[in-house]
Amino acid sequence: MNKELEHSFVKLLEEHQNIVHKVCRLYTNNQDAHNDLFQEITIQLWKAYPKFRGDSKFSTWMYRVGLNTAITLYRKSKRNIKTQDYDGVQFKIKTEEYDDTEEQQLKLLYKAVHQLNDIEKALVFLYLEDKNYKEISETLGISEVNARVKMNRVKKKLKTILNP
Amino acid sequence: MDELELLKKDWQKQDEYFTKKCSEDIYNMLQKKSSSIVKMLFYISIGELIFWSIINSIPLFSSQDYNNKMNAIYENVNILNWLTFISFGIIILFVYLLFKAHKSILVTDNAKKLMESILKTRKIIKYYVAYNLVFAFLCMVIGLFYTSQNDPKIAAKLEGSKDTELVVISAIAFITTAAFVTAIWLFYKLLYGILTKRLNNNYNELKKLEI
Repeated sequence: MNKELEHSFVKLLEEHQNIVHKVCRLYTNNQDAHNDLFQEITIQLWKAYPKFRGDSKFSTWMYRVGLNTAITLYRKSKRNIKTQDYDGVQFKIKTEEYDDTEEQQLKLLYKAVHQLNDIEKALVFLYLEDKNYKEISETLGISEVNARVKMNRVKKKLKTILNP
Repeated sequence: MDELELLKKDWQKQDEYFTKKCSEDIYNMLQKKSSSIVKMLFYISIGELIFWSIINSIPLFSSQDYNNKMNAIYENVNILNWLTFISFGIIILFVYLLFKAHKSILVTDNAKKLMESILKTRKIIKYYVAYNLVFAFLCMVIGLFYTSQNDPKIAAKLEGSKDTELVVISAIAFITTAAFVTAIWLFYKLLYGILTKRLNNNYNELKKLEI
C-alpha cells in the first residue's frame, strides 16, 4: 500500500483514536489488554481502509470496525485475566469537582457494565456514544425494535446488578 | 437519574484521560501481524490442506515394489490410484470453497453478518475434516478387506481360523478403526470448540434477539 494512503490513515486514526480507546476501555480490564486490543483494531482498520470510500464518516466506520474486532475477531488476551481492574476512579480522580457519592456510584456502574456480556456491552457502548437506535441496529445487524427491547433489558439488568 | 445517563455524562468526559498514541506508535502498529480468529482459522485451514494432501500423496511417492505389492493385493483394479485422484479433486474443491469463504469475511459488515461469514468458513473446514475422516475410515476398511483376501500370509492365517475367530478379528479391526477416527474427530471438536466458543456465544446472543 502506498505511503500517501498510509499517511492519510495514520492522520485520521490519530485524530479519532478516542473511539478505539473507548472500545478498549469497555472490553478489557487492564492497560496491557487495552493496548493489545488497540493494536488489533488498528490492524483491522488499516486492512479495511483501502475500501473505505467515504460514504460514511470515518468515525462512523471506525465504530463498526472497532466493535466488530472487539466482539468477533479479537481472541481475548491472557493479559485480560490479570486483576488490576479499571474503574471510574482513574478518570474522575483528576477532575476538580470531586463528588464522593457520585464517584462511588460511577465506580459501581463501571463494574456493573464490565459484568455484561459482549453484545450487551456493544449496546451500552453505542448508547453512551449517543447513537440512535437505527445506527445501533445497523451496526449489530438486528432490527431497530429488537435493539430497543434489548436496551431496556440491559438497563434492567444493570439495575439488578447494582441493587441485588 | 437513570444510571446510564449518569454514566453517559462521565463517559463523554473521559477523552482527555486516555494515553494518546502518537503517529509513530500507529505506524509501528501497522507493521504488526493480526492475531484475529480469522487469521487463526486461515492458518488452520492451510495446515489441514497441507496435512491431508501429504497423506493423500503417499501412494504417489511409494516405491515400485510397494506399488506392485499393493496392486497384487487390490487385484490390479487400481483402487488406490482412483481414490488418490478423487481425493485430489475434492481437495481442489475445498481450496476453492475456503478461498471464497475467506474472501466473504468483511470487518465492515454488521456484527451478525460478520459472525455468520466466519462461522460459515469454520463449517467448511469442519466438513473438510469430516470428509477426510470418513475417507480414511473407508480406505482402512477397504484395505483390511483386500488384505485379508489377497495377502498370502494373512489369508493363510485366516484360512485356519474358525468362523467365530474371524468375526472377533473383524470386529476388533472395525472397532479400532472407528475409535481412531472418533478420537481424531473429538480432537478437532475440542480445538474448534475452544477457538470459536466466544464467537458462538455472541452469535447465539444476537440470534436470541430475533426470537
